[in-house]
Formats: sequence, structure tokens, C-alpha cells
Amino acid sequence: MDNSSSGDNLLARLEAKGVSRRDFLKVCTIAAGAVGLPAWAGEKMADKAAGGTKPSVIWLHFQECTGCTESLLRTSHPALAEVILDLISLDYHETLFAAAGHQIEEAMEEAIKANKGKYILVVEGAIPRKDGGIYCQVGGKNAIDTLNRVAADAGAIIALGSCASFGGVAAAEPNPTDATGAPMILKGKTVVTLPGCPANPYNLLGVALQFATFHTLPKLDKLGRPEFAYARTIHEDCPRRPHFDAGRFAQKFGDDGHRAGHCLYKLGCKGPATHANCSLLPFCEVPGAWPVGIGHPCVGCTEQQVAFRVPLHTTIDVERPTAPGTYPAIHPDHSVVAPAAVGLGGLAVGAIVGAGFIASKKLTAESEKHEERE
Amino acid sequence: MSAHEHPQAIGGKMLDPLMKTLLSLFGLSALVMVYRFFTGIGPVSNMTDGYAWGIWEPINVVVFTGIGAGAYSVGLLCYLLNKGKYHGLVRPAVLVGAIAYSLGGSSILIALGRYWNAFWLADVPIWNLSSALLEVAVCVMAYVTVLWVEVLPALLEGAAASQSPYWSSFGKKWGPRLQKAMPFIIALAIVLPTMHQSSLGGLMLIAGTKVDPLWHTWALPLLFLLSCLSMGYGTVVVLTTILKAAWKAKHDQVLFAQLSKVNAGLLFAYVAIRLVDIAAQGKLRYLARLDHHLFFFLLEMALFLAPAFMFLSAKVQRNPGRLFGAALMAVAAGALYRVDTYLTCYDAGAGWEYFPSIGETVVTIGMASIGMAVFIFIARKFPVVVVDDAHGHSNVGAGQVRTAASR
Amino acid sequence: MRISRRSLLKGAAAAGAAGAVTALAGKAEAREPHPPLPDAVGMLYDSTRCVGCRACVTKCKEANKLPYDAQAAQGTEKAVYDVPTDLNGTTKNVIKVFKDGEKFAFMKQQCMHCVDPSCVSVCMMGALHKEGKGKFNYSNENQGTGIVLYDKDTCVGCRYCQIACAFNVPKFEWFTPVPQIVKCELCKHRADKNKGGAYALANPACCEVCPREAVVYGKREELLKEAKRRLAAEPKKYNGKVFGETEGGGTQVLYLAGAGVTFKDLGLPELPEESGAAFSEHVSHAPYLAGLTPIALYAVSAFVISRNQKKEEAAEHHEEGK
Repeated sequence: MDNSSSGDNLLARLEAKGVSRRDFLKVCTIAAGAVGLPAWAGEKMADKAAGGTKPSVIWLHFQECTGCTESLLRTSHPALAEVILDLISLDYHETLFAAAGHQIEEAMEEAIKANKGKYILVVEGAIPRKDGGIYCQVGGKNAIDTLNRVAADAGAIIALGSCASFGGVAAAEPNPTDATGAPMILKGKTVVTLPGCPANPYNLLGVALQFATFHTLPKLDKLGRPEFAYARTIHEDCPRRPHFDAGRFAQKFGDDGHRAGHCLYKLGCKGPATHANCSLLPFCEVPGAWPVGIGHPCVGCTEQQVAFRVPLHTTIDVERPTAPGTYPAIHPDHSVVAPAAVGLGGLAVGAIVGAGFIASKKLTAESEKHEERE
Repeated sequence: MSAHEHPQAIGGKMLDPLMKTLLSLFGLSALVMVYRFFTGIGPVSNMTDGYAWGIWEPINVVVFTGIGAGAYSVGLLCYLLNKGKYHGLVRPAVLVGAIAYSLGGSSILIALGRYWNAFWLADVPIWNLSSALLEVAVCVMAYVTVLWVEVLPALLEGAAASQSPYWSSFGKKWGPRLQKAMPFIIALAIVLPTMHQSSLGGLMLIAGTKVDPLWHTWALPLLFLLSCLSMGYGTVVVLTTILKAAWKAKHDQVLFAQLSKVNAGLLFAYVAIRLVDIAAQGKLRYLARLDHHLFFFLLEMALFLAPAFMFLSAKVQRNPGRLFGAALMAVAAGALYRVDTYLTCYDAGAGWEYFPSIGETVVTIGMASIGMAVFIFIARKFPVVVVDDAHGHSNVGAGQVRTAASR
Repeated sequence: MRISRRSLLKGAAAAGAAGAVTALAGKAEAREPHPPLPDAVGMLYDSTRCVGCRACVTKCKEANKLPYDAQAAQGTEKAVYDVPTDLNGTTKNVIKVFKDGEKFAFMKQQCMHCVDPSCVSVCMMGALHKEGKGKFNYSNENQGTGIVLYDKDTCVGCRYCQIACAFNVPKFEWFTPVPQIVKCELCKHRADKNKGGAYALANPACCEVCPREAVVYGKREELLKEAKRRLAAEPKKYNGKVFGETEGGGTQVLYLAGAGVTFKDLGLPELPEESGAAFSEHVSHAPYLAGLTPIALYAVSAFVISRNQKKEEAAEHHEEGK
């Protein structure tokens, strides 16, 4: 391990706050594990961070609730948030900065110049486009211009949360400000999207540290989401999955099935179509701290087509169905008979037989008359 | 009695209420058929993997061609056995045959899942000669062509009598030429139905585990051939009786009495072969089951035997109405036998059930309707039916029938 | 003109004669039954080893890129589960269960790859064919494996195979305007040349994933030997027979079932030793005498008809002359 002075400073500072070296390594390893890198990568990340080469981060806020920042700050051990913040060099963050006004705007310009082409841009919040983007301005500059300015020299761009990824709640119908996500503004640039309302901070940390350590980005899906976190659906790793397979569903909130922890699909769970790792990497390191864990259906916050579009308690198609827990019989029932069809068939046959019978009867009688006359 | 009364076009109003009904029924079925080409067969039918042919194959193909076999039955008598007096029956029978077989053929196209591959049938080297269905398909296609060629003389005569000089000379030129080639075409019209009608029975030979033992026998091809002949003779009598009622077509009671005696022989032969075969193969125990199989078996036997006895009775031979009834039963007997073999007494296994959907039924009804409509159209426009000029003539022969029957 | 009894009889006789005589005569001539090919490959399913985990069902869908079964259990609505209740247009392999009081057994259903298959016998243009014996698209097919393959380019969708198959295996895609026949092709496309042996010919995904080797892949001869070895080693465990050794002319997929469970319980039909194809072909082909009958019938008909026509014309002239 590199024992440079700044590294000693960081560790000493942390230790003063009650964070052991062991805890520090743990956080780095969790972050590495989240990105799908082995434990040694976590150590390497810790080394780099301790060695003082912390990635510079410029954090922009647009139309949002600051929930993503809040979830990052509300970790179980209060110090761990600081650890996360200490792992990166946060050069501009409106919520966390003590400074204000022109001072802070200058700080941003400086950071851009100092780390040109190397800093990480984190976008939080949607960008309004209506009326020239006047509905979100900071320091007299509107969101679109600020975003374009900062993104131009960024080494990596991360859209944190559903708003920054695809507009989120700000873009919900009727979308009065014509809000949209960062990827739609920064066309042609690679934007890592970390949707979620809020996004899981570990996913951000993982991407940031991977970039800082290896200068690479994780593998992304076609919506820009890192596959390490978004390749599988909630449904596939859901702790309630056995109940789904066995056909045990909560029918309404508070009923016996709901109390017994049965599957929430019928209450409108969007898990079967929602790509996220909520069940595998709990928020704030508290197991079960996510909607399905506390008995509420998944709302599908990471999905542009689901979140803020499909009503909360409407059920949704299963994206990748698999075999259930029951077996077909040797001779399964395949009968298909519609009463109306039986009626029509009977009518047709009856009409033919009846017509034949009547015609034959009539003809016979007629011919007999002829014969009698003769 | 001359063997060469000349047929003539019936004429008259084309769009009468009957025609309108037939065309609208067909229109309804056409909608279903078009829908089928966009969505597949599943949405319009109740066909399943167990009952993969539904009613389209058993009724539209197997029964319709049985009805169309009138051309074959009459052709055998008229040309091969040289009973020239049946000539008057040939044209309507051939027309019905041509129409029924065309309907059968087009029904197959609608029922085929991958109909666009059917053109490979023209590539003889890829034929699988062990397939009974291939034989049926090829024979039916060839026979449809032959039947329409057989209809041609009527159409050419119609052309010859036409006002247009072009069509008139066309008809006069090609009519006699065609007449010369006729024997070789008619010979085909004997061979092809012999082959494919027996093969229609042969089709079900391979489904030994599914067709009920009372129906599944090596004699299936023979029984199908016999049943098509009896259906054919029955159809001719039914058809001519209707034509007489509708258009005063010539209707020779003596001829019918004799035709029906041939039919009685066929019906008896069918029943005899069927029963002997069941007994010889030790399948009598299957007659002890009290279920729908026994019901349909007895119904078939009744439908075969009743007209057979009736055809032999002088009282029936004398009376066109009774003869008509008996002939209808002969047709129904063959039809029932065919539907039983293909559907009613075909069991795909436990769990599989089938009843035709409304869409399927509508298509079958529509097909039958358009068949009738085409027949009426051609009979009105072209010389197909021999019309009785002297009204009331048909009953004069009653005395002769008595003598014929008493022999 | 009067009709004599003699000519009547003649008429009735002649009417059925063509078929009757030849059909009866043909009974004597037989179509040779097809013996199992020496290098035929197949599978052995041992019901007593199966735990019903359905790994094979899932893997089969994956290996054959089959869509989820939206029809079977849930009507026409989109599927919540992939629940194939039977073989169907989206399912080439299915695990079923037999339950009767205390008796309980799993059953794996897929194409049996018959030694003398009915579907191959009836298929009009060889769309269903034994590997290497297709009508076209068979240049890269091996010879002698006995795998029953499907070629969509020569299939007209007549569904005769569904009628003919005693096992109800070939399935049809009912809900598409461009349907195909769907059935197991023994994962021929997964053949692995590097592995060699039987695996160079085919490599069924179901056998690969089965965690208990309840279903195994190999040469039919060796599988039959293995099945008999199991029967001999643990006679009390099994019902004493190998299904597919002779049934219906033999199948290349063999079955073993536990004691007290009959193959009929598992949905396998009771079949005679003669294959349906052999029976059907011999009854319907024999009357043709290799094509002689129709030709002879045609020649005789043409001759008689033209003679009759000439006679008639002569009679007409005679009448006119009178």
C-alpha cells in the first residue's frame, strides 16, 4: 500500500471520525463488487483514493427533489457517507457547498479548467426545454447551457436518478416544462444512466471509482444503464419469487396473504418488467429497505416506460416468464366447444335433414296423387 | 326413347332470392377466409393439435368429393359399360363433379398452413410416393382439370350458339375437335377417381391408434371407393329430381329405377364387406360397447341398408318422391361414413375434444353455397340440363317401371 | 331398351371391381419394415430418476429459441408464466406428471424419433424426413442418424403428420399466418464436432442440463443396452420393459418406468410391432403393383370408351338412315 502523506491524512481523518481502515476497505469492496469487479479492485480503488488521486466530480442539480443526494447522505453509519464523499473530490455540489453565489460558480469554472477531460460530471434532475429552457436557471444560466458547458470537457458523464436519466417525475404527463433526461440533451456522448427514484448510491460509487481507477466505464445496456446493476429484473431476484411461482398472491393490502409476505404482483408490482438491483444491494445498507421489502409493490422507478406512466396498482406483463411450480397431467384438457357453435352446427345439420325429409315427403305425396289419377 | 335429347341453357333471371341468399352466405364465409389469411387458422377455427383437420378436411374435401363422384359413377355406366341412355345425366353430374372437386381443392388451400409451398407439388422428383395425401392431392388436381375439360363441350356448344361471331366460330371449331379427344380424357376420368377415392380411405390407414377399430381396417380404401360410387349415384338422382322440380328438367323414372338397383347392389356390397371384415378380424366385441361409436355404427348401417332395400322395392321405384328420399339417404350414408372415419370416430386421445367453431361452419356452408350458385349460373347460361318439352311426360313411364321392377 | 339382369350385375360388379380386385390381390404383397439403423442416435429417459425440475423444459426453449407459451394456460392473453401444459407450437419438450393415489411418476415428452416414422411416411414432399433423406436442404445433413428433421421449405402445412403420429408429437402454430410444424429435432443444430462420437451428430440440450441423468443421449444401440442393464441390475425398481425397443416398429427415444407404472399411465400408446407406416404403405401401395394397375386401367378404359363411341356413332348413322 502506498503510504503517501495525503493518504495518511485521509485515513487519519477517517479514524478520527470513528471509521476504521477496515470499514474504509469494506466500502471500497462493496463498490467494486457492485460494478462486478473482484475484491482486489476494491483494494486498488482504496489505494488510489488513499493515495490522493481522487476523481474530481462536478455535480449539477436541475429539476429534482435532491432525493438522490439525500439517499447518498442517509447511510446507516453516518460516517460512511463522508467516506463516500471522501473517496471523490466533490468540486461542485449545490446542496453540500457552504459557499454560494458567484463564488461557487467560479469554483465550477476552476474545476473544469483544472481537470479538463478527466472530471466526472454527475447530473441530478431533469432538464426543461420549453420556452428556451427558462424554467430552470442557476446563476442566470439555464440548465441546457450549463449542462452542455460542463459536459463538453467531462471525462465521464453520469445521469443519476430517473429525472436525469429520462425526465422522471418532472417529465410525467402533461410535462408542462418539456423536461427530459441528460442523454436526450447530450446526444452523441456516452451518458451512463443510473435511473432509480432515488438511485442506489453504491451504483454511482462503483461507476465513479471504476472510472477513476481504470479509466473505463462498465458495460452499458442500450439505455445507457450499467449491466452490473440493470441487466436483471427485480422479479428474477425477488425474495418473494417462490410465492409467485406457487401462485400465492396478496389480493389486497392488509389481507392474510399480504401479512404472510406473499407475492405483490396482483397489487401492481412492476418487478417483472423493472431492471434494477434493489433486492441485491440494499439502500443505506439496511436489508429489506426497498418497496417490496416493506410490503409495497415495486413502482418500476428505473423504467422510463413504467415509472410515472403506468398507474401504481396496475399489473404489468412479465418480461421473461419461466416455468411454474405445477406440472401438466399426462393427458391435459384441450377441449374447446362454444355453445353458439354447437347451435349453428346443429342448425345446419338440422336444416339439411329437415329440408330433405320435407322435400321427399312432398314429392311422394304429389307422385301418389298422379298415380291415383292414372 | 332417344339417347340424345339435347341439353339446353335454362335462361331466366339470374339474381333471384335463392341466388342472393347463396351469394350472401358465401360472402360471409369469404370474410372468414380472408381473416384467416391474416391471422392464421387458430382464431377462426376450433382446430387443435389433436383435431388438426377440423371439419374442413372431412366435410369440405372428403364429403364434397364424394358428392362430386356422381360424374365418376355415371361415367362408369355410360362410357365404360356403354349404357348410352344415361347420357342425359352426364352433363349435370359432370358439372356437379367439377364444382364439388374445385371446392374441395380450394378448401384444401384455405386449410393449408403453408399454402405458398404447394407449388412445389409441380416438382415431381421431390414427391414422397409413400404419402397417401400426395396421391390424393395430385389426383384431385388432375381430376379437377379433367372434369372442367369434360364440362367444356357444354361451354363450347354455348359459345357456338352465341350471337358473337368470334365466339360462335370458336365454339364450332373446337367443339368437334374436343369430341375426338374425349375418350382419352374420359379414361382419365375413370382412373383418377378410382385412385384418389380409395386413397381417401387409405389416408386413415396410418392412424391406427386413433381411428376406432370398427372403422380402422385394411379395407378402408375399398369401402371408400364403394361409398363414393353409391354417393355418386344417389347424388345424380337427387340432383335430377331437384332439377325437375325447379326447371322441369327431363326426369326418366325408368332410368332412375335401374340406376338405383345398381346402387342397391353397391350399398349391399358395402355392408357385406364391412360386416364380414369386422367379424373376420375378431372385432365383434367392439359392438358390445354402449357408446357413441356403437350409435354411429348402427346409424351408418341403417342409412346404408334402408335405401338399399328401398331401391329394390317396386313401390319406391315407381314414386319419384320415395326414390328421392332413398337417394338422399344413400348420399347421407356415404357422408356419415366418411365423417365418422375422419372425425366422429377418430379419437386424438384423452383430453382432446372438438366441435367446429362458428367460423369453420360458416366456411363450410359458404363453400356449399357458392357451389350451388355456380351450378345455377352455368345451367342458366349454358346447355347442361335436358329440359322436358312435353310437360307431364315423365310419368308416362310408370308402366314400364312396373315391368322393370317385376323382372 | 331394356336392362337385363346380367348387365345389371355386370354394372354393380364393374363399379367396385377396379379397387376390390387389386386391393385384395395386394394384401399378399408386403412393404419391408424398416429396421433400426446401426448408427441411429436417440435418448433414454428413466422416469424413476427424474425429479421434475424442468431444467430440460427451460433449456429446450432456450436452445431452440422458442417463444414463451402464451396460449396454453392463459387463453390468448399474454403470459405471466411460461406454462406449457403440453407439447405445442412453442414447446418441443415438456415434463408431465402421472398421479394415481400413491403412484406417482414424471414423464418427459418430446419427439420419439421413430425407427419407421408415420410422419415421414405421410409427408407429401419430405418436409419431415429422416436426416440425410430430405428432398432438399439436406446437403449438410449426416446419413444414418435416424433423426427426424423438419424442412419448412417443403412443408405445405397440411397437418397430416399430426393425424398420423401415434404419439401426437408434431405441433402446429395455429395463431400465425405463417405457421410451421414444431417438434424436437434432437438439437441437431447443437452438434459439437469437437466432442466427437454421437455428440458430433446431435447434442440435445435437455440431456446436457439434466441434473440426474434421467435423460441421456447416445447411440440407440448403446442406450438399449444400458436400459436393459438397468432392468437387470434393479429388477424391482422398474416395470420390466423398455418402451421403444419394438413398439410401433421401434423408437429412437427409449423409456423406462418405475415398478407399478405402465407406459400407458405415462401416456405412451399401446402399439403393435408393425409400424403404422409399414401397415399403411403396404395396404395402399400393393394394389398399384408399382404403377402397373393405373396404367392398365387407363389403357383398357380408353380402348373400351373409344370403341363404344364408334359403335354409338355407327348406330346413330344407322338410325338416321332408317
